[in-house]
Order: sequence, then C-alpha cells, then structure tokens
Amino acid sequence: MLFFRSEECVREWCHANGMPVRPRVRMDQLWAMARAWYATRLDPGSRRPQPDEIPRIFANLGLGDPFWDPQADSFESPAR
Amino acid sequence: MDLDLDVKLSIYRHFAATGARPSAEQIAARVNADVCDVLQAYRRLQAARLLVLEDYGIEIRMAPPFSGVPTQHVVESGGVRYFANCAWDALGIPAALGAPSTVRSRCEWTMDPLELVVTAAGLEAPPMLFHCAVPAAHWWRDIVFT
Repeated sequence: MLFFRSEECVREWCHANGMPVRPRVRMDQLWAMARAWYATRLDPGSRRPQPDEIPRIFANLGLGDPFWDPQADSFESPAR
Repeated sequence: MDLDLDVKLSIYRHFAATGARPSAEQIAARVNADVCDVLQAYRRLQAARLLVLEDYGIEIRMAPPFSGVPTQHVVESGGVRYFANCAWDALGIPAALGAPSTVRSRCEWTMDPLELVVTAAGLEAPPMLFHCAVPAAHWWRDIVFT
C-alpha cells in the first residue's frame, strides 16, 4: 500500500515489479478510508469493520470493484 | 473491563502517547497482570487482526495504524513522531489521534518526498495516488508485504 505522484508512476512501478495495475485511490478517498477504519481506534468501543461490512464502506467511497471485497474470489479487474 | 480489551487499549494508548511500541512488561504493569497472561492476550488480539507480532511472538510489529518498527511513512503530531505501516495507515494515524498532523512519505517510483497535512479542516495533499497491489481478500495472507 504505497503512495505515487501520478498514474504514470503507478504503471512504471507495477511494470518494474511484475505487479498488475490495480484500482487507484484519490487522497480524499484514502482519507475517508483512514477515518472509517481508525477514527475510533483509541476508544474502548472501537471495532474493526467486519468482512461483510467492508464492501459497503468501499462502495460508498466509489470503490465498488471486487478488488476491495475481502470475501471476493475474483478480482482480476483490468487496469483503468 | 476484560483483559484483552484492557491490553488492546493500553497498547494503542502507549503508541499514541510515545510513538513507540510498548514492551510486554510495560503492558503487564499497566494492566496489573502477569506477562504470560499479556502475551496470551497478544495472540488473541493478533487472531482478531488488531495486532501483528514479530515472528518470535513477543514484540509488537504492528498495532494498525501504528508501526512498531521504522518505515518510510512518518507522521508528526503534537511533538511526537510516529511510523505507519503503509500509506493507508499514514493517514490512519492522524485519524486515530484526531489531531493536526504532518505526514511525510515518498513516491515509491521516483522516491520524491511527499508531504500531506491534516488540520481541523481536513486533509491537504498534493496531487498523488494510493495504490495497493494486493486484493482485499489476500491482505492478511502476508500483511507485512501488503
């Protein structure tokens, strides 16, 4: 889970490392992901999102690809 | 409060206060328990994916979003320096702290430094992207690589 300056940097890094290009995430989406997972982490009542909740959280952020589903068995989404 | 919750909160609050991982002895003293009982709680918390232990099962490698070891993702907040496990966790630390923070990392291709700032108004970041090479279904097969 890494930062890149641009789409081109993602493609170059994936090519150099033999990795498929996966869905890219904007910083506003990543900030929302960070808050969804961690905003209450220091509180007694904190709990991790559960696998059946996670697809909905990602979908609400515009990340509806099966790549983001921890229970998916198909996630070979094409580069976009 | 049950032991696992007490141990979990003590670990996370130690990271938040110091930026560093606590020892099992420090946690045992904090929760008034034996070190052996604390280490058993560590294993249950790891099974719940709230901790990642070093291979020898005693030191904390990750208490997401906090990293117990140095990484390229550095967060500064309130005069404390933190290491994050990954780009996602680099923003997770400001989210967990609920405090203004500066995140310093890099573009993994060019190695150029990147800086993001979290204020009360939200996130200020230059144009950049987050990319995860591992599908969500496989994240925990090797969470250190992920």
